[in-house]
Amino acid sequence: MNWDNREDVLVFVEQKEGGAVKVGLEALGPAQVLAGLTGGKVIGLVMGEDNAAAVDKVSVLCDEVISVEDENFKDGNNDALTYGLEKIVEKVNPAAILAGNTPLGRELTARLGKRLGLGSAQDVIDLKTEGDQILWTVPVYGGTVLNDIELKTLPLMATVRSGAFSKPEEKQKAEIVTETVEVPEEEIRSKVVDSVKEISEAVNLEEAKVIVTGGRGMGSKENYHLVEELADLLGGVVGATRPAIEDEWVSRDHQVGQSGKIVSPALYIACGVSGATQHVTGMTNSGYIVAINKDEDAPIFDVADVGIVGDVMKVIPVMIEEIKKRKEE
Amino acid sequence: MDILLCLKQVPDDSVEIYLKPGTEEVDLDNVTNVVNAFDTYALEMATRFKEAVGGEITAVSVGPEEARNAIKNSLAVGADKGYLISDPAFENADTLGRSEIIAAAIKQLEDERGKPFDVIFCGREATDRATGQFGPQLAETLGTGIICDLVDIEQTDEGIRGKQETEEGYHLVESVTPCVVTVNKPPYDPRYPTIKSKMAARKMKIPVLSAAELEGAEAGEPNVEIIKVYEPAKREAGIKIQEETVEDSAVKAVEMMAEAKVL
Ligand SMILES: Cc1cc2nc3c(=O)[nH]c(=O)nc-3n(C[C@H](O)[C@H](O)[C@H](O)COP(=O)(O)OP(=O)(O)OC[C@H]3O[C@@H](n4cnc5c(N)ncnc54)[C@H](O)[C@@H]3O)c2cc1C
Repeated sequence: MNWDNREDVLVFVEQKEGGAVKVGLEALGPAQVLAGLTGGKVIGLVMGEDNAAAVDKVSVLCDEVISVEDENFKDGNNDALTYGLEKIVEKVNPAAILAGNTPLGRELTARLGKRLGLGSAQDVIDLKTEGDQILWTVPVYGGTVLNDIELKTLPLMATVRSGAFSKPEEKQKAEIVTETVEVPEEEIRSKVVDSVKEISEAVNLEEAKVIVTGGRGMGSKENYHLVEELADLLGGVVGATRPAIEDEWVSRDHQVGQSGKIVSPALYIACGVSGATQHVTGMTNSGYIVAINKDEDAPIFDVADVGIVGDVMKVIPVMIEEIKKRKEE
Repeated sequence: MDILLCLKQVPDDSVEIYLKPGTEEVDLDNVTNVVNAFDTYALEMATRFKEAVGGEITAVSVGPEEARNAIKNSLAVGADKGYLISDPAFENADTLGRSEIIAAAIKQLEDERGKPFDVIFCGREATDRATGQFGPQLAETLGTGIICDLVDIEQTDEGIRGKQETEEGYHLVESVTPCVVTVNKPPYDPRYPTIKSKMAARKMKIPVLSAAELEGAEAGEPNVEIIKVYEPAKREAGIKIQEETVEDSAVKAVEMMAEAKVL
């Protein structure tokens, strides 16, 4: 492939609360594959108010870190972050630009795409190199169809789905280059005036080994406690469908699916969940799926290893008792 | 507030879409087109915003004649005017191309009205390809501000303040107008039209804007090529347990889970 004198692969690693976001670190994995083709370096780019912790994490996973520190680049100031990324891209002249498929990753790549006239692959779940061809696998129609797409412009640009790639092996600490980018005032049109944290507990669905999800079929917030009890018993995390969140039985960071988290635990138990595509697309890569639904024709049974036809309020308590018994044995 | 609303039609996302067996062709034969869910949320938010602060909503959509339905539906709910942006030359436009076409239409409409739109609403993503690129690219093309993923919006002295959903809570983001906003699922559902409002919408004219009327509107060369279309490996459905009593079913399920060593 003709890289047009470009060789490095630039990865924008997003920060949250002073740390590197996991999917940003994961993007360094496919970056390494691409750098193998171009013969260049993997450069991790960290932009923020205080980069120390993130730079530390990134520096052992790539060949060079560029750190741009300024209060302009605080979380949410996307106009400044877009400008900063554009300037660093000008400087590095990369062969490819990668980021995590987070709201910020999507916005930055979209805006840069317009500024530089670039196509991009969004929410990439696989990267294939076949001879001279680089193919990015992206889900369409909520994941029932996949496309392998080729990008026609350079630098290549993509965002990767959380959990789709593994971060590279740790190695020796890379060189850290500090850059400054002055953001002209006229670049800033919108500004974050307040950041509110509504969700205090840290829900880590993406790394959970066991997830117990309650859907609308749980019927009420009170009944939802059964889902929590079963999750606790199994050392797992509580998941939810969109209706369960809209009814305020559980906070929205528990959502599994297209507009929630894409998860792949060893065990997934779906209680009173119908199995809509938008939900199933988020959990179909689970190791073992158990579904409880009173409707024997519910689509969730099509993806379940074990389906129990019955009322959640009757089934879950018996399951809890049975599992307790086995644990005591 | 003068509001512009961008609508896109997509295959009904409550239907599971697959390929025609043995082909790389997506089977859309029995799938009707609907307004993208996130655009319906944008319409509802725009309508509530208009009701709160006054103003007017103009709805536009790029697409074939059939996309007229999307606009008609919006006129029956909250939009005041609608335009269909349609031309065979626009058919293969990708997201970037579509944002350029809509930007050209917006400029044209602004020239005709003699004033700019204050806020341009669109959905956070379309449910078919879900790339979320359109809103930010439209803002870049127009040279306006952009706030993504709003679940609420209000007017300020200088422009707007939006509640932007984040993983842990929300940001309050202020922007000068004109500004593009993309809308996530707010805590309410879109309203339905009434028979009366539907009848009224049916009578309203929806002019067509074609390439000839839109200076600088070009679909452009797509920057992305689809090489292969296929379905992911399917999960096999397992066993469905329906014993005499629910208790028996539950006991059996736990047994199977224990055998599979997932407990
Ligand atoms: C753009 C868009 C994005 C979306 N994103 C997501 C997403 O990320 N995640 C998500 O989950 N949804 C999402 N949705 C919503 C999705 O389409 C479905 O509406 C939702 O997943 C259904 O949730 P549910 O299964 O809990 O409810 P329902 O579909 O109402 O199903 C409830 C089920 O419970 C069963 N049931 C009822 N009572 C009992 C009982 N006593 N015992 C046992 N079973 C019982 C019923 O038989 C039924 O199957 C999205 C929708 C749109 C349009």
